[in-house]
Amino acid sequence: MEAPGIASPRCLSSRRTRPSRLGDVPIALYRLNDQIYAIDDVCTHEFALLSQGFVEAGAIECPLHQARFDIATGRCLAPPADRDLRTYEVRIESDQIYVRVGGPRG
Amino acid sequence: MFLRNYWYVAAANTEVGRKPFGRMILGEPVVFFRTEDGTPVAFEDRCAHRHLPLSMGKLIGDHLQCHYHGLRFDKTGTCVRIPGQDQIPPTAKVKTYPVAERYHWIWIWMGDPALADPAKITDFHWLDDPNWGAKTSYLHVKSNWQLVVDNLLDLTHLAFVHETTIGNSALAEHAVVKVTRAPNNVVVTRWIIDQLAPPTFVKVGKFSGNVDRWQIIDYVPPAFLRLDVGATPTGTGAPEGRRAGGINMRNLNAITPETETTSHYFWGQAHDFDVKNKELTQRIFEQIQTAFYEDVEVFSAQQRNLDLNPNAPQIDINADTGVIQARRIVDRLRDEELAAGHMAAAE
Repeated sequence: MEAPGIASPRCLSSRRTRPSRLGDVPIALYRLNDQIYAIDDVCTHEFALLSQGFVEAGAIECPLHQARFDIATGRCLAPPADRDLRTYEVRIESDQIYVRVGGPRG
Repeated sequence: MFLRNYWYVAAANTEVGRKPFGRMILGEPVVFFRTEDGTPVAFEDRCAHRHLPLSMGKLIGDHLQCHYHGLRFDKTGTCVRIPGQDQIPPTAKVKTYPVAERYHWIWIWMGDPALADPAKITDFHWLDDPNWGAKTSYLHVKSNWQLVVDNLLDLTHLAFVHETTIGNSALAEHAVVKVTRAPNNVVVTRWIIDQLAPPTFVKVGKFSGNVDRWQIIDYVPPAFLRLDVGATPTGTGAPEGRRAGGINMRNLNAITPETETTSHYFWGQAHDFDVKNKELTQRIFEQIQTAFYEDVEVFSAQQRNLDLNPNAPQIDINADTGVIQARRIVDRLRDEELAAGHMAAAE
């Protein structure tokens, strides 16, 4: 099952991330080098929203305590977090981004 | 520990004149005066002889004479007269500080004098610009300087502390916030679209309906915050840069530590509409001043609790992003100054 189309890929840029929700789960969409990625938006350290943080070198840095995660894989790169983020499969069709619900990939 | 190699605002230009004026800056007592040609001068506020504050003395021409035994110091801090004797020991000197006068403020460099370059003075040109109406003021704050910086980087507090003037609940619940950063800069950009104008804006801008409001906070270390603030009637293109028909202001803040637990808060408010209308400038100023008095109460109450237990835990909320990024810059700059100091001491 897929959630309805979230946004056009044109709304995203390397500097413009987009928070969204899959049901109850906060996620965020990122654009890196023309690829769109969807990952959990809640930092695995405490409860900050990563999409309010800083994208640098393919990673997202948590705005509050500076944990870092690889955007493409969700892998935790720096403390104080120590758990990876879940990632979600993304499909682009008719200029809309779709994120697959019901099973994170990877 | 303070950041030393910076220009700080020390006084309003009108505070410094032919009567010596003493103020503590970064934990050091400083005396200010002007020579007969109007040049501002700053010394350590302590006579080289028996430590009396030189600010208790008086000017004889361009020499500051100590109130106790009459030693006189010229503008380089060199003793030029000791009553009752001809020889003056070459060690009879007081420390001087580089000073500059800009934007109706007196600025002081508290670090290594060799590094004092007036080109590094933070730009506050709105306070001295014919295209803006502006008024400045001073508040003495009974808190550490960083609490004032924190306050200006998180404007959700307006909804709770300043409800009668510049705040309303939209600020806390409906703001879209973006924080950007550079090694020595944090910018917090806040937009509140299609919401009620706060009381101050209604009075000043005569808005009758909802507005689009912006608050763009620019922080540079140690403690300079220049806020671009205003609003236009909603839907008239403010986010795209069209500010006609609205109010456009700058709220300008320069905080100078006095001690670890007290601060000098220099601030000003400028507007670029109806700039020659001094009554308007005063009216806007008074609204902001009311808000700032409320902040000063908050700062001293925070400091009282911090003094009781400096290590009490604290949690962070999403609105703290800009606050945290600014403190990280200060921590890094502090580490760099410490490291440079150790290297210099080792040499």
